[in-house]
Amino acid sequence: MKKIFQWLDERFELDALVKFMGKKYVPIHSHSVWYYFGGVSLFLFIIQVITGILLLLYYKGGEDLAFESIQFIMSKVSFGWLIRSIHSWSANLFVLSAMIHMFSVVFERAYRKPRELTWLSGMLMFFLILGFGFSGYLLPWNELAFFATKVGTDIVGVIPMIGKPIMMLLRGGEEVTGATLTRFYGIHVAILPGMFTILLGLHLLFVQRQGMSEPIEFTNTPEHERETMPFFPNFFLRDLLLWLIVLNVLAILAVFFPWELGVKADPFASAPAGIQPEWYFMFMFQTLKMIPSHVLFIDGELLGIGLFGLAGLVWTLIPFWDRKTARGEHNRFINYIAFFAICYIILLTTIGWLS
Amino acid sequence: MVILSRADDQCVTCHNSIEDKPSLLFKNDIHQQNGISCADCHGGDRKSEDADQAMNKKIGYKGIPKGNDITKTCSECHNNQAKMKRFGSSIKTNQLEFFATSVHSGGSIDGGEWIAQCITCHGAHGVSSVKSMQSPVHPANVVKTCTKCHSDPSYMKKYNPSLPVDQLSKYHTSIHGSLNKKGNIDAAECASCHGSHNIYRPADTRSTVNAVNLPSTCAKCHSDVQKMKKYNIPTDQYKKFAKSVHGKALLEKHDLGAPACNDCHGNHGAIPPGVESISNVCGTCHALNADLFASSPHKKAFDQRKYPECETCHGNHEIVATTDALLGVGVGSVCSKCHKSNENQKGFVAAQFMRGLIDSLELSEKNAKGLIEEAQQKGMEVGEAKFKLRDVRQSRLESRTMVHAFNPEKFKDVVNKGLEAAQFVKSEGQSALDEYQFRRFGLGVASFIITLLAVSLFLYIRRIER
Repeated sequence: MKKIFQWLDERFELDALVKFMGKKYVPIHSHSVWYYFGGVSLFLFIIQVITGILLLLYYKGGEDLAFESIQFIMSKVSFGWLIRSIHSWSANLFVLSAMIHMFSVVFERAYRKPRELTWLSGMLMFFLILGFGFSGYLLPWNELAFFATKVGTDIVGVIPMIGKPIMMLLRGGEEVTGATLTRFYGIHVAILPGMFTILLGLHLLFVQRQGMSEPIEFTNTPEHERETMPFFPNFFLRDLLLWLIVLNVLAILAVFFPWELGVKADPFASAPAGIQPEWYFMFMFQTLKMIPSHVLFIDGELLGIGLFGLAGLVWTLIPFWDRKTARGEHNRFINYIAFFAICYIILLTTIGWLS
Repeated sequence: MVILSRADDQCVTCHNSIEDKPSLLFKNDIHQQNGISCADCHGGDRKSEDADQAMNKKIGYKGIPKGNDITKTCSECHNNQAKMKRFGSSIKTNQLEFFATSVHSGGSIDGGEWIAQCITCHGAHGVSSVKSMQSPVHPANVVKTCTKCHSDPSYMKKYNPSLPVDQLSKYHTSIHGSLNKKGNIDAAECASCHGSHNIYRPADTRSTVNAVNLPSTCAKCHSDVQKMKKYNIPTDQYKKFAKSVHGKALLEKHDLGAPACNDCHGNHGAIPPGVESISNVCGTCHALNADLFASSPHKKAFDQRKYPECETCHGNHEIVATTDALLGVGVGSVCSKCHKSNENQKGFVAAQFMRGLIDSLELSEKNAKGLIEEAQQKGMEVGEAKFKLRDVRQSRLESRTMVHAFNPEKFKDVVNKGLEAAQFVKSEGQSALDEYQFRRFGLGVASFIITLLAVSLFLYIRRIER
């Protein structure tokens, strides 16, 4: 082992890297547990990439082939069922883990100076994750996905001026057809992964360069009282341990709750009852359903989309308007907003599921 | 309206003196008999002896009503309950209401007026009561009245070129037509089935001859015990039909593919199908069954014994949904009516054999379906096998048709196709269930390895952090 390391070290000067990693420390405090969700999200992304590439070997894009190819993967390809189920389950856990990571960063104020760009790159990645979910949902070309995409793209079309052209661009025409599937396929396997990899590289580079964020209370603690642990190997091994547990959870989910394929989409059939988006879009969908068709003179749907757009923008720009935290003071207002957002998402998602 | 005596009515006096045709016809008109004057329809002053004064437009003389004004003129009284009551009439006053929605109120070729007016059928100046033999709409005359237009190809072409014009000649071949020709007013004529003022196209659900309404239209007479008594015809056909597979489909589900009375008996040329023509009648829909039967050994045997082909096993008006129980030699089977273990033995053995085959196919299908459902319930992807299951069902349906060939070898071929498909589905279902077990076993092994790794890692972390 030592000889291999030496051989590599001679060529790539790995020693410097090992020394750099040895100098990297992770703060230990009562909220350290939240640090792991970044790692878990990264692990789930890796799983997505690996299983996604494996699915690509058999998946065939196109109205007449997509559903049948997934059916083939699920029933004929060795371990195809496992790969597809893990891909679907890890996609959902990826969104959940990224969401937890995002909220923990807000509660810990980890977005504050000097990590504004780390937060910004993270938020952009989060939006891309939602894009992954939305585009990937259609790819099996089943009934549920078809109509959910129809509803989802219909909502985009409501936006004045730019809505219709965006909807047409996404659908590749007036309606959700095979052209939409081809576009979503391209977006899912080429455009989004490309953009995501660049942002992920930047995000990890920022984290490596700036180190782990410390809570305000921790920075106010005298240096000799601060506890830390080496990133390598201690934190890295803990990350690895958690990844193993997540992997086992994924395997259990895939075996006990294999991802269903449903019925092939029929564009000429009427929409079945109970069409719902994926759980992470449910709170928005439910809100739009609950808003009256007109609020004063504004179209209800448009108002909902406008409010969500505004909320998303305000949320993304937190580090730039939360001046109190930037000064190193504790801003309770941020906690209230984050707490409200979590309660709102849980409540509306529950109503959506029950209705 | 002032009722004057005929002598006081100057219109009558004057027009009679010049002996014009309308006034001569009007002498026997029911309206004239009830004191209704020319002026009541044509306007003008009936008391004036001066023709110019009597027919002065300034005092309301309308002349000869044209187009829809004719019907409007009639309906001024016939649509007015109070007026009709004054004449002691029991005629309904909703004729116009019905007529305005009927097929005859469609635009005529010039588009300006209805196709028919009241006088088209009832006549103008010699109108008689419907009950009078003089009336063109009396049951004995109505056929002639309707066919004035409906048997005229050049006239009918203007309105509905696809409508046949041979109804009259067909009608005369029917029992109804021949009785009507003899003056029997019990026999159904045009209005008995199509209605009078409320005539709609047969495709219209309001029509009395619409497929869904037709059985009850026929039953108006054919379920009337008193009426049918003298013809010695049973009156339970409608009751039986309503209980049959055809009746349920037509009357309950409104499935227009199901036959109504006319589909078997004909409509204008209605006759009861004869013994030898029954399989042709049923075969218009059940074509394959009829063909197979025609080439089967039963055809000759039935013809010799004068058995009404399809009807012998399936009945006529009360044809219930067929089940496999009809086949074989057990209780409820129809084969055993003629074939016994000691009589017509060849058929007995064939029936027993074919029943055994269909039973085994049904059982195989049930087992295959059960396996697939179990696998599906366990989350396994069995779409292809589920699709193949349709072939088993298809084969079972085909065997129900093939049974009409009464050929055990041909029957076996069809059933075998289904048994092969069922075998494939069963093996796919079993593989899916085996795979389900394998997945659980695999998960156990994988979980064990992962847990082992995780525990080792945990212990290692503890050791380096000690």
